[in-house]
Amino acid sequence: MGTSAVNHPFAQSDPAVTAPPVVVARGLTKTYDTGASQIHALDGVDIEFHRGAFTAIMGPSGSGKSTLMHCLAGLDTSTSGTVHLGRTQITGMRDAELTRLRRDRIGFIFQSFNLLPMLTARQNILLPSQIAKRTVDRARLDHIVDVVGLSERLDHLPAKLSGGQQQRVAVARALLNAPEVVYADEPTGNLDSRSGAEILAFLQNSTRELHQTIVMVTHDPVAASYADRVVFLRDGRLVDEVTDPTAELVSARLLNLEV
Amino acid sequence: MLRTTLAGLRLHKSRYVTTVLAIVLGVVFVTGTMVFADTLKADYERSVMGAATSVDAIATPGLPVPGPEEESQEPVPFTQQQLEQIRALPQISDAGGMRQSGAVLLDDSGRSFGTFPPAAITVDEVVRFSASEGELPSSDGEIALAASIADQTGFGIGDTVTLLDQEQNEHAFTVTGLLDLGLEPGFGYRGALVLTPESFKAVTGAEGYFEIDALAADGVSEAQAAAAVETVLGEDAEVATGTAFGERLADDAGASADVMRAALLLFALIAVFVAGIVIYNTFAILIAQRQRELALLRCVGAARGQVFRSVLAESFVVGLLSSAIGVLAGMGVGLLAFRVGGPLMGADAGTSVVITPLAILTGLLVGTATSTFSAMVPAVRATRVPPLAALRTSATATGLEKGTGWIRVAFGLLCFAASAGAVALALAVGPDTAGLFAVAGAGMIAFVGVVVLGPLLVRGIVRLAGVPLRRVGVPSMLAVDNSIRSPRRAATAMIALTVGATLITGYSVLSSSIERTMTQELDSRFPSDYEIRPMLGVEDVASGPDGVPDGLSTVPDEVRAQLVSSPEVETVFAQQTTSVGTGEKEIAGVDGTVPVSAFVGAEAGSQIPGGVVEGDLADLGPGTVAVAETHADTLGLGDTVTLEAPAGDLTLEVAAVVESSSLWYGLTVHPHDFAALAPEQAGDSMVVVRGTEEASAVELRDAVYSAVDPYPTLEVFSTSEIREEFTQVLETAFYAIAAMLGLAIVIAVFGISNTMALSVLERTRESALLRALGLEKGQLRRMLGTEAVMLCLIGAGIGIVLGIVFGWAATAALLPNVLLGLPLGQIAVFIGVAVLAGLLASLLPARRAAATSITGALASE
Repeated sequence: MGTSAVNHPFAQSDPAVTAPPVVVARGLTKTYDTGASQIHALDGVDIEFHRGAFTAIMGPSGSGKSTLMHCLAGLDTSTSGTVHLGRTQITGMRDAELTRLRRDRIGFIFQSFNLLPMLTARQNILLPSQIAKRTVDRARLDHIVDVVGLSERLDHLPAKLSGGQQQRVAVARALLNAPEVVYADEPTGNLDSRSGAEILAFLQNSTRELHQTIVMVTHDPVAASYADRVVFLRDGRLVDEVTDPTAELVSARLLNLEV
Repeated sequence: MLRTTLAGLRLHKSRYVTTVLAIVLGVVFVTGTMVFADTLKADYERSVMGAATSVDAIATPGLPVPGPEEESQEPVPFTQQQLEQIRALPQISDAGGMRQSGAVLLDDSGRSFGTFPPAAITVDEVVRFSASEGELPSSDGEIALAASIADQTGFGIGDTVTLLDQEQNEHAFTVTGLLDLGLEPGFGYRGALVLTPESFKAVTGAEGYFEIDALAADGVSEAQAAAAVETVLGEDAEVATGTAFGERLADDAGASADVMRAALLLFALIAVFVAGIVIYNTFAILIAQRQRELALLRCVGAARGQVFRSVLAESFVVGLLSSAIGVLAGMGVGLLAFRVGGPLMGADAGTSVVITPLAILTGLLVGTATSTFSAMVPAVRATRVPPLAALRTSATATGLEKGTGWIRVAFGLLCFAASAGAVALALAVGPDTAGLFAVAGAGMIAFVGVVVLGPLLVRGIVRLAGVPLRRVGVPSMLAVDNSIRSPRRAATAMIALTVGATLITGYSVLSSSIERTMTQELDSRFPSDYEIRPMLGVEDVASGPDGVPDGLSTVPDEVRAQLVSSPEVETVFAQQTTSVGTGEKEIAGVDGTVPVSAFVGAEAGSQIPGGVVEGDLADLGPGTVAVAETHADTLGLGDTVTLEAPAGDLTLEVAAVVESSSLWYGLTVHPHDFAALAPEQAGDSMVVVRGTEEASAVELRDAVYSAVDPYPTLEVFSTSEIREEFTQVLETAFYAIAAMLGLAIVIAVFGISNTMALSVLERTRESALLRALGLEKGQLRRMLGTEAVMLCLIGAGIGIVLGIVFGWAATAALLPNVLLGLPLGQIAVFIGVAVLAGLLASLLPARRAAATSITGALASE
């Protein structure tokens, strides 16, 4: 374990951190029973994410970073511990409540298979609002579509869009409803570096301009360098943290973890 | 390669459940039918062979060969002398003769039983019949009844029954036994009564023998005995050994089992055909989903042929295993069907089941061949998967099918045009069996058109239905989009349902057209409550040795007189009918006569409805005649017809030409002229009664029955009863056919469910994404439910449209002057069933989709 990896999640001086936390997890554990032995995917994680912050979660394969995100987002249930979204405790919620919570208060961007193939780009962007029967803020829609540069391609089916364009549709969808938090699971994992950089810039801008809270899981130090803060996971525990990261710094810390 | 195939089969067992079920159901139907028919046939043959082989030679009077101008003649019975000669033959140890004539049996309410008098037959020292229950009569007060008569009248052993002799005197007999004659060609329908020769003579007075049964003397073979009998009876008689006679009867009886088999197999074939469609679709989808797997096989060096054989081997194994299950289940079903249905068809339910190798082979072959052939096209498609496909990331999930090519559209439209042409041709030709075949052919061509245009139809209809559905909510919006993602897949799934829906709607249209025509026919007649007619065939019974009818073949005048005086009766009229000789070749039948009727008690023009083609029925007076259209080929208004009358020929002028109907046929004259044409005729051929408004149904019935009470052989028909019976017959037929087609529909619904399940499997990640984005489980289920219901509705809808069109065409091609019916009620039920079927079909796939873990599905790549 890296000696400098002191765990001090509350000692922050970043401007974003002065805002109240949007998501708070306390003592989060997730244990899988595989008959003979137990696997601790999460082993007591305490973490919080502040409004307008762009946080990257990193760690080696199997470190539990995806599991952490799934538990934070209400996609998966934790074995113990609590997760709060704003004032709402989401651990212990029933499936129907979790569904409504995701629908109304959380945005998602996945690595691949983000879009429904039979819906056009516009329909995909509007889908969560339609599921929730929410009226869409036209001005915000136009603005977001404009920012991600999709105005010309709104009526195309996903199959007719490049990987980068598809991912931009997903970003627009996630941002449209100004959710309390956006979870991005390896959003650039399948993209070339230029498209990836574009996506990451959009995400970064959204935290600055729209005060969007973003939590991103990634294993790419370059992607992580776009975030305000990077937290490192190993064996289901938070082991390190970097603010205002650079790719080199993140690489170095990551390499440390692997040793 | 085979090992890879089998390993794949084991791995993906659950994907084949529906395929297996579809084949199993089809094969169960086929094998069940074979086992049922074989057992029935064996039972029939055993029972007739047993009766015939109890004697060694059987002689029946042959029909004299009619000359070219002669009508076919009645067989001439054997004489007492011939019987004695046979008994005296050295080759014959004993012989017995069987007399036969009609006899009127009274039922428990004292009216004659049946529409036709049952055959009375005699027992002698030698007789091939034996009682199935009790004993044949041995003394003069005893009688044995055919089991069919006992069933219908409720008489049993020990009861007293009454027969009428020619003078209408009653003779009482005690029932001593029942015989099973259901398979005897002569007695199966009429039923038979067995009497001693003395009572037979007392009741019928008939002489002569219609069958002589003989036993061979010791050491004489059957053939020798039969040959000896033939020398006595001469050329005209038909003499057969007991074995040969039995074989002939067995053939006849077996033929009826074979007809049954053919009819059932036809429905089984439809079910198998639908199963074939389902299997085809399953394999097509599986191949599409396994593109990468197949491509990997190609990458590691499998040749195209090996891929092809691998898919085919897979379908063969699935087909063979399912057929084996189907054959086993089919044996059980066939046996069960025989135990339940056999007794209804005159078979002994206790007969041990007959399972021929043919039944097993047919089931195995049909199931395996259907499965293998259905997988042929998907297998060819599998060979076209390029090895490179293995390297692509998302092989199928995002692949939307290409649009429908113009060749497809052109071919589909051509099919419809050809079908329309064939229907037009069939209708132009007029009612004919050939027309029916033309319509059936047209239906098949149209079906091909539907198959070809299916994807286009699905897309078009969904687009149209989608407009309102999209507004309902996200689940239905997504369902609309999902159902046109793979229009070909959707089209194939729904077409399986179309087959059943077309046939069932077509039959229901035919049935309702017949019912409507019948109702119209009944309504258009004189609005009658009762019709009274003499019993059919009663003249055989009633004509004494002198051959003069004694009045039983008509309704006596007293009946009409009493009805006229009844206060419950408003109107009574009668139709008198006879055959009159005429020199007019154009209207005379083969025997040189023409049917001539007169209406008594009602004005022909105003009170008795009839469609007038030409002229005016009010002009029908003495000296004139109304001609039915069928006899009016060469006759028109003002032409004259000359008829032979005892007091000199009568020349009548045509006053009207009328549409042929059950009241208006042949020629109709004024009663005055009728009396001149048939001065000997007493009584009416038919009396029609209508009650007053005030009279209750019971009062009217009592009045009518009291008028006919002295004449037990008169038959009373109640119009409402006829209508009810008719409707009931049609309904029973409809339910029977619906049940037969039901299996095809069940298989089709399995197919739709399977298509849904495979699509859900393919869309696992999509479902997970939707759930992550906040779609509730219920909404996900509703989405799949809507999709399945939409598919079912389209399939059923197209089937209903085809069914109505071709049902009408078939009806028009089959029956003249038919009114086309539209069974709206039944169609509404079909639509309801389609919705229900869709919901059922989506049940399991939807549950599965909703239960999938979001994170698991998102993580799996």
